[in-house]
Amino acid sequence: MIVTTPGVRVLAALTTAAALLAGCGSPSGGGTPDPAGALTVALQFPPRSDYAFDADDGKLLSYLGVAETLTTVDDEAAAAPGLATGWEQDGDTWRFTLRPGVAFHDGTPLTPEVVVTALRHVAGVEAPPRSIRGIGFEIEADGADAVRISTAEPDPVMPLRMSSGNLAILAPAAYAGGGAPDYLRTGTGPLVLDAVNGVESAELLRNDDYWGEPAGAARITVRYVEDPQARALAVQAGDVQFAEGLPAAQLEQVRSAGAEVVAYEGARTVPLQLNQSRAPFDDVRVRRAVTEAIDRPVLAGQVLAGSARPAADLFGPAVPWGATEPPAGADAERARTLLAEAGYGPENPLTVQLWTFPNRPELPTLANAVQAMLGEAGIRVEVTVGNYEAQEPEVLAGQYDMFLNSRSYLSDFPDAASTLTSDYTCAGSYAIDQYCSPAYDALVERLNGTVDPAQRRQLFAEAAGMLTADAVGVMLVHPLNTAVLRGATGFTPDPLQVRPVLPQLIPAG
Amino acid sequence: MSGPLLLLRRLLVVPPVLLAASVLVFALPRWVDVDPARAVLRARTAEAVPDPATEARVRAELGLDRPVVEQYLRWLGGVLRGDLGLGYVSRTPVVEQVGSAATVSGLLTVLALALAAAVGIPAGVYAARRPGGRWDRFLGAGTIAGVAVPEFVLAPWLVLALAVWAGWLPAIGWGGPEHLVLPVLTLAAYPGALAAQLVRAETVGILQRPHVLLARSKGLSGQRVLWRHGARLATTSVTALAGMFVAGLLGGSVVVEVVFGIPGLGRLLHRAVPAQDLPVIQAGTLVVVAVAVTAGVLVEAVATALDPVRRTAERAG
Repeated sequence: MIVTTPGVRVLAALTTAAALLAGCGSPSGGGTPDPAGALTVALQFPPRSDYAFDADDGKLLSYLGVAETLTTVDDEAAAAPGLATGWEQDGDTWRFTLRPGVAFHDGTPLTPEVVVTALRHVAGVEAPPRSIRGIGFEIEADGADAVRISTAEPDPVMPLRMSSGNLAILAPAAYAGGGAPDYLRTGTGPLVLDAVNGVESAELLRNDDYWGEPAGAARITVRYVEDPQARALAVQAGDVQFAEGLPAAQLEQVRSAGAEVVAYEGARTVPLQLNQSRAPFDDVRVRRAVTEAIDRPVLAGQVLAGSARPAADLFGPAVPWGATEPPAGADAERARTLLAEAGYGPENPLTVQLWTFPNRPELPTLANAVQAMLGEAGIRVEVTVGNYEAQEPEVLAGQYDMFLNSRSYLSDFPDAASTLTSDYTCAGSYAIDQYCSPAYDALVERLNGTVDPAQRRQLFAEAAGMLTADAVGVMLVHPLNTAVLRGATGFTPDPLQVRPVLPQLIPAG
Repeated sequence: MSGPLLLLRRLLVVPPVLLAASVLVFALPRWVDVDPARAVLRARTAEAVPDPATEARVRAELGLDRPVVEQYLRWLGGVLRGDLGLGYVSRTPVVEQVGSAATVSGLLTVLALALAAAVGIPAGVYAARRPGGRWDRFLGAGTIAGVAVPEFVLAPWLVLALAVWAGWLPAIGWGGPEHLVLPVLTLAAYPGALAAQLVRAETVGILQRPHVLLARSKGLSGQRVLWRHGARLATTSVTALAGMFVAGLLGGSVVVEVVFGIPGLGRLLHRAVPAQDLPVIQAGTLVVVAVAVTAGVLVEAVATALDPVRRTAERAG
């Protein structure tokens, strides 16, 4: 008997349509940019929490180009001016000077008091955003054009923290009700959020009084479409002119319809995590054998059909401190030798469990490929695909062998200290690998006193190098992000996903 | 017993059934081995790492730190008052979310069933006119395809044909009448095909019954015999099935709602389950159960009204 669940049926719909649609469609080129025109775009993630700033939705308002933060980031992942034009540190306090002449969409001016109200609001909720949680965040106005932010300990990355979309500033009227901020027509960005239809859509208008570069379209209709096949079909049917997050299976069909496909780096890694709190992965030779046995270029190029880069370290090319050279392929012979040194071989074969979850469709596919590759080296792998929420307590307690995970290593702002701490230090709250190295902890501790961005990048790279040298899991691939344009132009990829996307887009007739 | 009394007797069964269902609806999501507070935090903020202090605050905020029986009684009291609280993830009123989604799914369901009945019943009756004839064979092949082709195959085909190639309709979205066409066609295919098959089979059998043969021998026209005697009785069995389809389409149209981007009940539950948004899961499921039970009762009453034999038996009983 074949049993299907809604999830399986949705997946089957995607597969069916992908097979049907490959090679179909009418050609459509670019066109002449028309800044007076309108666009409809299909975005992947709807506002699940009514655009709340203490949830991921807060970042959505920045992504749309509606709300802005005190800082943004440049291509080197360093803080750059946003609503603040400059900043300086004095011990445990940072002083941010505000940009003059900025007005909210309702016409009220940006003042230090408004910034204080906005950031105190988001810092005071039950679960404040990660970017300011647990650091003793306090803010007050400092004169007519600045705010002072202080923390319990001197904070080296406050300007970067302020680039988090969760910390966007809205007009005073947004907070007048006392509850969740009112986000309609209260931002400062190049686009005005004019209307919202729940989790379905939103209407944006160009802000003609914007202090910076104006938006490329006069009007943008945002449709939130979670199903990737539906996004692809919408591009093909001409319903939308821009869509993001299309899997590899759908790219060829939209390309054949004349769409421009942009694939770019993302700050995400798929690690094969190895439990070092017990045998067999408490032995570094076994961990290295697993690393040698897995052909990461094949995983990225063939198993995932080019929709990912092979990972040489935790970070990869999305960030300036990540490895850019691809890793070597598999060496099954070397893997067998290492296993033999650890006491495993034909007489004493190694059998391990590999757990993963289906929320990210590439994970079960990768798990099967890893199973086959490790089998070549003499390691028998039993794969279980289950529910992440049920697996998490077990893996955090060290009750597993191998766990195939997917991890964004920049949490809310482009600094890796948070992930390096939570995932790999001895006391880390998400230390699934159960890795504990005093030398590593000492290295990460140095980040707490390092303000200089170049030095921080150096420390990030050293930490990643240490994880690679100790074979703390195997970083398999870095999935690529995708965007598709058909009837629009101007998209500039942002691997850090901090800068707004929609204001760049220009209708192309 | 008169018709209204029969209906009232049947409707009296609904409240106790719903009360029993409320216990299951409340308990089932909690039997899953997942901490709702942790799941909610992860739904609000992707990849949030465990943070016991924050999770404890959220658990208290959501009332999940109270005894389960107290949680159930509070929830049941809210249901009776029409106050289902706020969704854990969206933090917007559940009544509004579920009400809006159920309205959308209800509209789709009604239109799909109306289309299925409008096409399936006459097609089945017409095919029964000459069993084995050309139209009967054509309908047989068509209805087999309609029953066999699943929604996740049919939906992309329809989009491809009518939105991408022909350009007549939008591929996705919700708002105007044009957005109804493709999802209604997709949803109507299965019940329409099944109705046609059932009606055709029933009508063929009914046309051989003595009272129909007698009517024919008295000189009643073929068309009149077919539609008045054959079709009327044949639709009784389809009517009985309609109750099942109502509940199935209302709660189970997940694929169609996800593929076409429709803000219906199926998609709402599809999102709420992984996020452990218990108020939404409970309210959505209870609505589906309530509709299913009520529709079952009403359909049973309609089937009885249409079928003289059942009507007589019920009144006698």
